[in-house]
Amino acid sequence: MTFIAIGIMFFSLFLFGAFLWGTFNLFGVIRLAREKVEINAFLRENLPEKQIEELSGKLMSMVGVESVKYTSKEEALSKFQEEIKDAPSLIEAVKTNPLPASFSIKLKDGFTSPEKVKEVSEKINIFDEFITVEYGESWINRLDRVVKILFLFDILLGIVIGFASVFVISNTIRLTVLARKRTIEVMKLVGATEKTIHTPFILAGSIEGGVAGVMSGGLLYLIYQVTSKFFVKFYFPHNLIIIGTVVFGIILGMIGSKLAVKSTSKEIKFETSNV
Amino acid sequence: MIEIRNVSKRFKKAWYALKNVDLSIAKGDFLFLTGTTGSGKTTLLRLIYMDIFPDEGEVAVAGFLSSTIKEEEIPFLRRRIGIIFQDFKLLKDKTIYENVAFALEVTGQSGKKMREKVMKVLTLVGLSHKRNDFPYTLSGGEQQKTAIARALVREPFILLADEPTGNIDPEGSEDIIKILQEVNTAGTAVLMATHDVELSKKMGGKFLNLEQGQILKT
Repeated sequence: MTFIAIGIMFFSLFLFGAFLWGTFNLFGVIRLAREKVEINAFLRENLPEKQIEELSGKLMSMVGVESVKYTSKEEALSKFQEEIKDAPSLIEAVKTNPLPASFSIKLKDGFTSPEKVKEVSEKINIFDEFITVEYGESWINRLDRVVKILFLFDILLGIVIGFASVFVISNTIRLTVLARKRTIEVMKLVGATEKTIHTPFILAGSIEGGVAGVMSGGLLYLIYQVTSKFFVKFYFPHNLIIIGTVVFGIILGMIGSKLAVKSTSKEIKFETSNV
Repeated sequence: MIEIRNVSKRFKKAWYALKNVDLSIAKGDFLFLTGTTGSGKTTLLRLIYMDIFPDEGEVAVAGFLSSTIKEEEIPFLRRRIGIIFQDFKLLKDKTIYENVAFALEVTGQSGKKMREKVMKVLTLVGLSHKRNDFPYTLSGGEQQKTAIARALVREPFILLADEPTGNIDPEGSEDIIKILQEVNTAGTAVLMATHDVELSKKMGGKFLNLEQGQILKT
């Protein structure tokens, strides 16, 4: 019975751990996408170098700005030529340099939502030195929508897996406790206190939950090692996932045992066939 | 020692398992509680070890009152009472010795003193030579003797026996009652519920006849 219980708990905790792992990776992808959010501010022609330096300092001191990168007219042109190198006729057509110098402004975490980006870009637009300020409004709005949907889906999945784990594990523990109903009955009969009756079950439940947690954390780590070696290198925060499954297993084992032994103990009424 | 005062117990709202029962059990009493199935014998015993509580009246056992006892005090009441059942309630995965010792272990006793107590009661019921056997290798009578030993190991002031001979052949039944009589002679009160009036008459003792939840004669 104990092995079956550990097996079922292992499976539930494995699902829980896999969900945690997936969530960390999802957040990693979202962060990467958000890091790409930037504001491009294009400068007027022939600004003195000193003025550009001052402007750079002003931009850096703005709330929400993480970094500022200056691209000169020449750098912009060579970058453009690099991008269109497969179309030599187009390069020949560009006789003069029509591209303006610009600042690429990256924003801090918490300033990448459509509202915040718009707010910062409007503040940047106030400076007369800029011809235009762009931030890819439609792309940011789309990213924000996708992030919100993924986040909602992740929470819903988390709730379903969380509830399923609690349900399966508590019922498994209840079956193991019920298998020892006679022991509880005899303990009550000879005057054992509720604490004495509960303690061994809670201990056993915690140990079973912990063992199942270690096993599922270990299997997830093994899967991470194999996928890293042969397929994709996922992000795997060892401590959070392994400790997470072990702690979740111990807590579920403990609480599940406590509730199961309490209800079983209450149910016992020294049944006999007589009245 | 045990006072049952004007006690009524209902099941299914209006069905009286016991009605206006008065009973007093003193130290050293041996009482047969007779009556047909459904007469209220088991209900009376359950009220004494406070597995259930009266709807009317009061039960007083060794200073504990049914009206005021707290849930956490019930184990301490049970430690002063020995209880045996028709189905023995032994643990299959424990030996005879371990089954008896279990009653002391769960209340925190261990060591040499515990071993002495266990061996003493096993000798009293004549099972010391089978101490390492498992319950399923024993006859019904021997299993009930083990249950008696477990009930006595805490030196209770009363032994409650609910149909203790119900699953045992006539010869074994007489054996069980003889042991109960010996226990009684040593100073422990015995209250034995049985529907086997003939057997109890044969063994002698005081009678309490229950019918439809009421005491007919004592």
